[in-house]
Amino acid sequence: MSVAGVPRAERPSLEAMRMFARSPVAVGGLVLLAVILLVSLVGPLVYVADPFDIVAAPLSPPFSEGALLGSDQQGRDVLTGLIYGGRATLTVGAAAALISVVIGITIGAVAGYFGGTVDEVLMRFTEFFQVLPSLLFAMVLVTLFSPTLATVVLAIGVVSWPGTARLTRAEFLKIKQYDFVAAELAIGARRGRIMWKVILPNALPPLVVSATLAVGAAILFEASLSFLGLGDPNRMSWGLMIGSSRSYMLSSWWAVTFPGLMIFLTVLAVSLIGDGLNDALNPKLRERR
Amino acid sequence: MRQAIAAFIATLAIATALAAPAGAQEPRRGGTLVMGQSTGTTSFNNAVGSGTGIMVPGAQIFASPVMHDDKWNPKPYLAESWELSPDSLSMTLHLRKDALFHDGAPVTSADVAFSILTIRDNHPFNTMLAPVDRVDTPDAATAIIRLKHPHPALLYAMGPPLMPILPKHIYGDGRPIKTHPNNTRDVVGSGPFRLVEFKPGDQIVLERFDRFFIKDRPYLDRIILKTYPDSQTSILELEAGRLLLQPFFNRVLELDRAKANPQLVITNEGYAAVGGINWLLFNNKRKPFDDVRVRQAFAYAIDRDFIVKALHKGLSKVATGPIHSGFPQYSPDVTKYSFNLKKAEELLDAAGLKKGPDGIRLKVTCDYYPGDEDGQKRLAEYMKPALKKIGIEVEVRAPADFAAWAKRMATKDFDISMDAAFAWGDPVIGVNRTYLSTNIRPLVFTNNAQYENPKVDALLDAAGREPDADKRKALYGEFQKIVTADMPLFWLTELPYHTIYNKRVHNPPTTIWGTASPMLDVWLSEK
Repeated sequence: MSVAGVPRAERPSLEAMRMFARSPVAVGGLVLLAVILLVSLVGPLVYVADPFDIVAAPLSPPFSEGALLGSDQQGRDVLTGLIYGGRATLTVGAAAALISVVIGITIGAVAGYFGGTVDEVLMRFTEFFQVLPSLLFAMVLVTLFSPTLATVVLAIGVVSWPGTARLTRAEFLKIKQYDFVAAELAIGARRGRIMWKVILPNALPPLVVSATLAVGAAILFEASLSFLGLGDPNRMSWGLMIGSSRSYMLSSWWAVTFPGLMIFLTVLAVSLIGDGLNDALNPKLRERR
Repeated sequence: MRQAIAAFIATLAIATALAAPAGAQEPRRGGTLVMGQSTGTTSFNNAVGSGTGIMVPGAQIFASPVMHDDKWNPKPYLAESWELSPDSLSMTLHLRKDALFHDGAPVTSADVAFSILTIRDNHPFNTMLAPVDRVDTPDAATAIIRLKHPHPALLYAMGPPLMPILPKHIYGDGRPIKTHPNNTRDVVGSGPFRLVEFKPGDQIVLERFDRFFIKDRPYLDRIILKTYPDSQTSILELEAGRLLLQPFFNRVLELDRAKANPQLVITNEGYAAVGGINWLLFNNKRKPFDDVRVRQAFAYAIDRDFIVKALHKGLSKVATGPIHSGFPQYSPDVTKYSFNLKKAEELLDAAGLKKGPDGIRLKVTCDYYPGDEDGQKRLAEYMKPALKKIGIEVEVRAPADFAAWAKRMATKDFDISMDAAFAWGDPVIGVNRTYLSTNIRPLVFTNNAQYENPKVDALLDAAGREPDADKRKALYGEFQKIVTADMPLFWLTELPYHTIYNKRVHNPPTTIWGTASPMLDVWLSEK
């Protein structure tokens, strides 16, 4: 016997997908991201080169011999950098967002579900992270553990979870008062089941949107760190390209503009997808259409 | 009448026009020279500290026994004359009798003796005055430096950045000299300028000392030293005309930009005695760098012309060996390494480092000293593509800060690293430390290659004691020959140090010590 009024019985995923597909902006974002992913993941397999190789005279402008999009101050090819740099940038974006979402959801869910002292303690802990200037904090972490891809990912993840934790907590506070949760309690379901199998799925829509946006934020974060010279010098990334060429911005625009454009497009694509998901997963909007 | 006036005015105008260029060459008293520095000053007492942040202001506040011109000739300063005994074991200084400290006390031989011994016992360059046994003071105007063995470097160790004469009645009060309160405030010297204001990390204001012992000098009323850790800020301030002189500048891009500005002049004069060279350090005690063929292979794979022309935009110079080409002891007759990938690969093959299936022979980490973008970081990054061509995979280890890098050097926890050092006037002072086997110490800026060659030790020791300049040069020539063949480290470039100054600045300091010597002749014109 199913409990009346339980939303999870409606299987809203198909409906949401249809909603998403109906929004041209969201689909545009998805296509853009697919292209970027394809170039970054498959590109290096097709176009084999080392992005650190010196292929042309330093700071050759675009359309030079051997450097279609120009070369940077070491004579490294900008185009090769763009193709190979995507991997590191996207990996950092996805991995850091994942870390931040996992920490955020765990802390937010526990705080929201249990309330009381647990909530109090966890929220003060969250606030502690929230009031620290996140870029500064990430810089300290990366400096402390020397810049490698892993430390950059960890640093970004560790500083960016408080938002997700707050959001999760709010959703849990709201949903735990619903009748279907009370019903689960009545039939003697264990706490873990209620938290992760009953409340979380219903809290997911806003969290999915926030996670998507977190990917974009993490990419920007990585770019900021690299810009400040705190990227991993052994892994080509778009942020590293901008960071190492930023002092040449006035004389050689191409060395920073192209990787900057890639970051811009990626974050734009991710944001558009997030926006589309927001519309698609919002039941109120769904009813309106 | 009107015509007459017009004619008069015209004549006047012509006369002024004719007089102007001549007048412009006449040094003018007065004005404030705003100078930039990239390293902040933490102390003014250059008797116990080195580095441009201490030496540049220190040389203005304290006078030294001698100074030097741009041809390495010693010139009288606090010492009117000096003579070396025939056995080269005692140096007699005849001091000026009219020199006063900023507090009015006369400069005497007791101050000189006190300063020399203080420097010998406390200065970080511990070879500089090590042979000094004692200083005798037969009278107030005579100081005799007694040496344990001949020490020709002494003439340079007595120069402005290295031998400030401290007033004994202030610094000899028994308080520890390295942390003496008068190192940072109420500093008393006998130099052309006295300290009037010190805001750490921001600015230092120096004012002309009116009772300075050289008549009519200095021309300037005031020197303001502003700290700009960021080279971009310096260049903007220079372009705006607020900053008039920026010494020890080595950022290639900004130098290039200053070159194009009609109001600014750039010069690499004034760095001869500094003698800065950067190099790639090998951990000679770690395999495979104990094999000279491996080290040489690295040398053949590194294109120094590319570094100089492309990465340094022609502002630096290829370094051929351990001694800077501006030094009198420099010898071009050394083993030279030209860019030759084929030879590099042959050497590696011969050393038993064969290419693996992935084309990689060897994986190494490369560190660099943080704080010199063009001289260190860019070159460490360049190693990656350059050495990949001969099958060596380089992982650049970015240091968190200076302390992190210094620790790796001190504990010898590195494969290869970028490194650099200044020679400061004489090989004994700044070159020996990198090659003497007795200087393999758990410290940064020592013999961190851990190079041991008894022949080199003996040669450096003999050259350090050889009073005859020609014989000395020959000994250093031999040293350069051996070291470039052994190649414990690979010399890349002579550092691109330059001074950028506004056209208003005349007689910019271009002696061998540059701005680390008293700015007596510098003057400012209106435009």
